[in-house]
Amino acid sequence: MNRQRIWAVAYKEWREIVRDRLFFTLAFVVPALLMLLFGYGLSLDVEDIPLAIVDYDHSVESRDYAYRFIDSRYFAFQGYVNNEQALGAMLASSHIRAAIIIPPQFGQRLQAGQASTVQTLVDGTFPFRAMTAKGYVTALNAAANQDTLARLLAQAKGVSLTQARQMIQPVKLEVRYLYNQSVKSIWSLAPKLLMVILMISPPFLTALGVVREKESGSIFNIYSATVSRGEFLAGKLAPYVVISSLNILILWLLAVGLFDAPFKGSWLFFMLASLIYVICTTGIGLLVSVAVRTQVAAMIVTAIVTVIPAVLYSGVLIPIPSLGPTAQLIAHLLPAMYYTNIVVGCFLKGVGFSALWPDMLVLAGYATTLFSIGYLMFHKRPNT
Amino acid sequence: MTSHDILIWSRRMLVMTRKEFLQLLRDGVLLIFIAYAFTADIYLAASGVSLQLNQAATRVLDQDRSGASRELLGRFQAPYFRIDGALASSREGQQLLDEGRAMLTLDIPPQFEHDLQRGQPTAIQMQIDATNSVLGFLASSYAAQIVGGFGLEAGLHQAGLSGGRLTDLPVIENRSRVWYNPNQNDAWFMGITELLTVITVFAVLLPAAAMVREKERGTVEQLLVSPLSPFQIMFPKVISMTVVILLGSGLSLFAVLMPAFDLPARGSLVAFFGLTALYVFTTAGLGLFAATLARNLAQVGMLTILILAPMLFLSGAWTPPEAMPVWLRDMMYVSPLHYYIDIAFGLLLKGQSLRALLPTIGGMLLLGAVVFGFGLYRFRRQFG
Repeated sequence: MNRQRIWAVAYKEWREIVRDRLFFTLAFVVPALLMLLFGYGLSLDVEDIPLAIVDYDHSVESRDYAYRFIDSRYFAFQGYVNNEQALGAMLASSHIRAAIIIPPQFGQRLQAGQASTVQTLVDGTFPFRAMTAKGYVTALNAAANQDTLARLLAQAKGVSLTQARQMIQPVKLEVRYLYNQSVKSIWSLAPKLLMVILMISPPFLTALGVVREKESGSIFNIYSATVSRGEFLAGKLAPYVVISSLNILILWLLAVGLFDAPFKGSWLFFMLASLIYVICTTGIGLLVSVAVRTQVAAMIVTAIVTVIPAVLYSGVLIPIPSLGPTAQLIAHLLPAMYYTNIVVGCFLKGVGFSALWPDMLVLAGYATTLFSIGYLMFHKRPNT
Repeated sequence: MTSHDILIWSRRMLVMTRKEFLQLLRDGVLLIFIAYAFTADIYLAASGVSLQLNQAATRVLDQDRSGASRELLGRFQAPYFRIDGALASSREGQQLLDEGRAMLTLDIPPQFEHDLQRGQPTAIQMQIDATNSVLGFLASSYAAQIVGGFGLEAGLHQAGLSGGRLTDLPVIENRSRVWYNPNQNDAWFMGITELLTVITVFAVLLPAAAMVREKERGTVEQLLVSPLSPFQIMFPKVISMTVVILLGSGLSLFAVLMPAFDLPARGSLVAFFGLTALYVFTTAGLGLFAATLARNLAQVGMLTILILAPMLFLSGAWTPPEAMPVWLRDMMYVSPLHYYIDIAFGLLLKGQSLRALLPTIGGMLLLGAVVFGFGLYRFRRQFG
């Protein structure tokens, strides 16, 4: 590999990028803007679930019970409704996502010391939201029962309410949320957004690098030049790696400065690992560019192999162990999962090289493999 | 306009549409990827990805080793929890959590059973890896239910209240019913969401790329000196893409989602395909708008990410709109996907009637007219 020839290719590519002012601007604006939009908007916290209540009983007990939901910050009360038919229509139109139906004689039964049944309807269109909503309902319901039972016990045994409460709640669950003490979703999200954005944006930067020259015919200059395959590919990749490295810095600053994500690990290690990751993701774009014949195909292929896997198979929303076997295989085949371990490790866990070197090694291997495949697929003589 | 004019007009449209189809069919790589996206990609997402707490890797430090501790641990079960074995020390637990090999640890104190039997309060420690805040929250809420239920039974038994039988006490039983997806089958949600994602990616990218390609190669000049109106140049591109996307959607519904995952498709499928066509037109308008801003495909690539990524992840399938800041929620009213999500889930899962969907359809129509009209206006001004 001749360094001068790599430099020449890289310089030519760099000039082309810089001259295209809109493209050059977008190369920096797109990642930063995505970070801002997702950072503020991509909250997975399920709160303020719109809820309606049908109260067939109209007793003191039923109103007390309803108020537990109306007062809760997990639900946004949309009003009392007269009957179940009306609820159905509201659920269908997504006007509400959950509903409580309190039966007649609810209060009477409770006063007579009997159990009573309440029904909750949950919109299951989005299963994970439905599960969370059900969880809230169960928790509020359990709290109501504990209050009732504690009062009962206090009367029956002649003890104080606090004592009675302790008797029916003998076991406390003390939860410690590691790495993210306040369970703020933005803390755990911001580092992973780095991963997602650096998976989406760099491949699009590179995807057209080679195929554009193929379509315009300027690739023939390369075919007839003394530059070797490896030199050409390295030179093509270099400017995009530089741009993406600057983006790493910008995104890191936004995550730490704007979203207050804690960064506990080694900065140097993180930047080195990020650089390798960016070589991987720009490499994906370059490989696509070598493999296809038209720019349109290059863009579609890049979109399909990056945008969707960046979210589904990377561990940003779904932890890898919860994936099915095939999905786990895909996850292991992509660089995103390994980098997720690194960002989470460096930001939230404060672990460093000693724990994360295997992931970094895989990324390095990945970059090498990508470059080798690109090298093998790129021929200086087009098949005609 | 005479009948002769209409004849010429439609013949021109026909010829141009045919040209677009030919161009598409000749790009083999592109076709393969379109086929992949509508079949294998959707199958993988639906079969392998779940957003629920699933088999959370749990490690246990049982310092009591009593009947009570075993009874409690026995309640941490699949599908939510999976006990992976015992820990020798809390340090080992910390290490497993750091390395991501365990998601949570439970720590039962010595004398747990002893304390329970003597009516003394006791506590269980639980450490959760909260790097994924949603799952961390779900894990703690399920654990709280388990421990609360266990404690209540033990407490009532201890207090001698009705022999610990809950049904004889004035408790409220809350029965949840989940509508539309009673088993919270993630495959339905993931499958439909993935289909919408793929449709959206193609609907924005394909027409934008087709348009810019003509610009880049200078063929648009040829088209403009021909007797074709801007509309006749633009619209056939959208028609051909719409046909391809509709065929792909049909494939994924009838060949993947319905046979492999028993997607109920409760509403009218005719309406679904009709509205999908409308959605593709609307979204294509966004792509065409991007195409008028860009001079080459590289620019279009970056611009479409800027449009696609927020659209896909903030329109309401992944993140509950209730949890988004108001300004962002308002912004999503201009995302066609925001309406299409309601339509697609309404027709495929809820079995809503067209009449019930009318406001949503109206919103999308209005948006489509504005977006498409604006795209055409920009195109006219650039080339008219």
